[in-house]
Amino acid sequence: MVKSAFLASAAKRLVTGPRTYYLWVGLLLVVALTGLAAYSRQVTTGLVVTGLTSYVPWGLYIGNFTFLVGVAAAAVLLIIPAYIYDFGPIKEIVIIGEALAVSALIMVLLFVTADMGRPDRLWHLVPGWGILNLPSSLLGWDIVVVNGYLFLNLFIPGYLLYKAYQMKEPNKSFIIPFILLSIPWAVSIHTVTAFIYNGLASRPFWNASILAPRFLASAFCSGPALIILVYQIIRKYTKFHVKDEALFTIAEIICYAMAINLFLLGAEFFKELYSDTHHLSPLKYLYNGLHGKHALVPWIRTALCFNLIAFLIFLVPATRKNFKTLNIACVMIIIGIWIEKGMGLIVPGFIPAPLGEVWEYSPSPVEILVTLGIWATGMLVFTMILKIIIPIETGDFTKEGGTSSA
Amino acid sequence: MSRRKDDAASPSGNDQQTGSGTADDPKAAGGLEKKAGVSRRRFLAGTAGLFGMITVSSCSWDEFFQQNFRRMTREEIDQTLARLQAQYKAKYGKDFVVGAEGPIDGTLFGYALDIQRCIGCRRCVYACVEENNQSRDPQIQYIRVLRFRDGNMDFEESDLYYDPDRVPQEGYYYLPVQCQHCENAPCTKVCPVQATWKEPDGIVVVDYNWCIGCRYCMAACPYMGRWFNWADPVIPAEELNTRTHYLGNRPRFRNIVEKCTFCIQRVRKGRYPACVEVCPVGARKFGNLLDPASEVSRILRDKRVFRLKEELNTQPKFYYFFGL
Amino acid sequence: MTGNKRTRAGANALLLAVALAAWAAGSGAESLSPSPGPATSAAEGGEDFPVPFNPLPKTITPCRACHGPEKDFKINWTREEALRVHTNIRLHHGGVRVWCLDCHSAEKRNYLLPLSDGKPITFEHSYELCGKCHGTKYRDWRNGIHGKRTGYWNGPKTYHLCTQCHNPHRPRFRPIKPKPPPKRPRSPVEASTKH
Repeated sequence: MVKSAFLASAAKRLVTGPRTYYLWVGLLLVVALTGLAAYSRQVTTGLVVTGLTSYVPWGLYIGNFTFLVGVAAAAVLLIIPAYIYDFGPIKEIVIIGEALAVSALIMVLLFVTADMGRPDRLWHLVPGWGILNLPSSLLGWDIVVVNGYLFLNLFIPGYLLYKAYQMKEPNKSFIIPFILLSIPWAVSIHTVTAFIYNGLASRPFWNASILAPRFLASAFCSGPALIILVYQIIRKYTKFHVKDEALFTIAEIICYAMAINLFLLGAEFFKELYSDTHHLSPLKYLYNGLHGKHALVPWIRTALCFNLIAFLIFLVPATRKNFKTLNIACVMIIIGIWIEKGMGLIVPGFIPAPLGEVWEYSPSPVEILVTLGIWATGMLVFTMILKIIIPIETGDFTKEGGTSSA
Repeated sequence: MSRRKDDAASPSGNDQQTGSGTADDPKAAGGLEKKAGVSRRRFLAGTAGLFGMITVSSCSWDEFFQQNFRRMTREEIDQTLARLQAQYKAKYGKDFVVGAEGPIDGTLFGYALDIQRCIGCRRCVYACVEENNQSRDPQIQYIRVLRFRDGNMDFEESDLYYDPDRVPQEGYYYLPVQCQHCENAPCTKVCPVQATWKEPDGIVVVDYNWCIGCRYCMAACPYMGRWFNWADPVIPAEELNTRTHYLGNRPRFRNIVEKCTFCIQRVRKGRYPACVEVCPVGARKFGNLLDPASEVSRILRDKRVFRLKEELNTQPKFYYFFGL
Repeated sequence: MTGNKRTRAGANALLLAVALAAWAAGSGAESLSPSPGPATSAAEGGEDFPVPFNPLPKTITPCRACHGPEKDFKINWTREEALRVHTNIRLHHGGVRVWCLDCHSAEKRNYLLPLSDGKPITFEHSYELCGKCHGTKYRDWRNGIHGKRTGYWNGPKTYHLCTQCHNPHRPRFRPIKPKPPPKRPRSPVEASTKH
């Protein structure tokens, strides 16, 4: 009975809001539906409507998938200490981090599905009914860890928020094991995602053990940067309060992560450039062009510049603690990592092809529309979740029922 | 016409095929024009709403819930084969034989290619396309013939699209590459649903009805041995080969992966693969690695051989040898 | 009388030349793939393997119509650059080392030179003669390493004879026209590969 009351009043909250809320949701819906229309074309015609080829069979979808797994992992890793050490300034923003993780995970699943040729055969992945090829397929493992992680991130904040809604204290000995479990789990989703590529000996660009550490390091840049921006938006538009101190702490974490990320990149550069084997070709293609092909060069150079500039901004306390420069750096880092770990990671893995052909890839309009649609869907989900959880956090939305809008 | 490949073993068929390379080309182009109509018809048939993926190949519940081939009982296999034959009859108006012959006891198939003898004429490429019902548009060709400059074996320097008036050309040699049927296959390892596996006789196969189209195997293959149907395959009806195998050359559909199966529909019946029989210089050899008297076994004993990318430990059963 | 005979011999030579031309073209490099006939079995060094009939046109075998002890033609043991009668044959076998009578039996023109057993070799079994010089090739051919076989990898095969792929007078393959290259994959990017 309590549950249905909760659901009813949650539903009511979703459809009420100020004009900007309607505009925002309306915009997201339009983009999402456009994406859906593009996707239906892809489904009925085949993946021929994408820019993918035998040479580059993965592209924009898998690039975004990889980036978003990082966001999902970092969003939680960042806030775990708050649970454990009860660090005040961060704790209040924990649940929103998990909401971000959930939204990112939904996008992750949508991107994988969009990339699949035969989504009607998804049931083939269900163990028992279908076959999940464990332990040998890393994609199989990824499905396990991503779905497990999605469950954890729905369950933990769901439990905590429900208790808050009921105005009861959560049972700590019940929920702490789940929270503890989510720490290695967050690491595992990004590690397994790295291993998907890392394990392919046919693709030297990915077949370097530095890949998983780099994934984690870069995830700790992009995820937290996104969180810094999100919190500023939230505290501007809602009663939800986030202390500056918390954001600056996150910025410091980004600074360390970016230092590690750049260091690992440098290590990779050294190894490839100094040994100067054929394995250098993908890196050459990415940063400098190969056999006259250089579609990704401007992108990756932009990413490198952005990452370096953002690193400096985060490094210097004066700029780190100035919201103008901080926000610029956050945007730069998000774009930088999105390029580096999206298209900048996936596409060079296929160039040159194992038999030497250098065949470039660029996403087709359908692919771009579907991608935008999935991003819009993710943002929509995130908005919806925030719409419900922020009032709970601020104490406006309880079973006694405050009704202030978010 | 559909039996053409089987007949190709007979003298006249062979002679025509090799004797008139030039004359063949316009014919092939003409065939391709016809496919536009087929494609439109199938497109209309296939466009059944937003989540029309169930209708992808005029699908039935039986087809939708069809199990992985290796999990099927004998009766289920028979039912599936009968259903496919009826389906192909309805779709192409032809009587297909869809077999599911199992491996022959005591066989492990191996392939050897005389790299010194190959002249790069691409007869094998087209014989393979016809035998195995590969899509003409989008084009799928299991065999890639790479051209290298003498003294160089750098894939990045190789050329797939060479088109001189005559081959072989002075100063070049040729290296055809297809699925290497690895013993330690990276592609089967990565498949999330076990839609692809190595058969007991060593052939790496795909269950087209189980593949989810994720293309992980394509990323994993170091030899570009796997092909994806980016759209519904288009094959001129008169060029369809109706002698098929469930795991081999039966007609495919969009958004799934396919590959060379050593012509499983032929070799499981004792016959040579189509590429072996068409090669005008006899550079292609096929046989049972477990039989010491087989051609491949003798080659491994008598000749110097190499395999592509040995450092990846894929252990191909496709050998290149120096026959001279 | 003599004149009449000469005319007939000339006509025969002409006929033979035409037949030889057909054969040379048929077994030459232009059509690299030979036309095997029905398979027979020939005992070869204790090993049984199927060999198709030689696809020689029937018209070619009565070489003795011109060449023979009862005919006018004398055996010409000297090597000449240009063949006077068989002008369609351009001999280029082992450079210039191999001459007509290195393979063809001088006395028995319907046969090839014998092996050490003294028994002349028929055209159907020409590979035995080829093997005299090309011993390792012959061995490889019998093992299925050299040459081409069709049929069954575990059953009856059709072997292709040496002369079905190699024109015996000009054994080296001549270049042929390759089949068209693959289409470049559809892609929004401008179509081009390496180089």
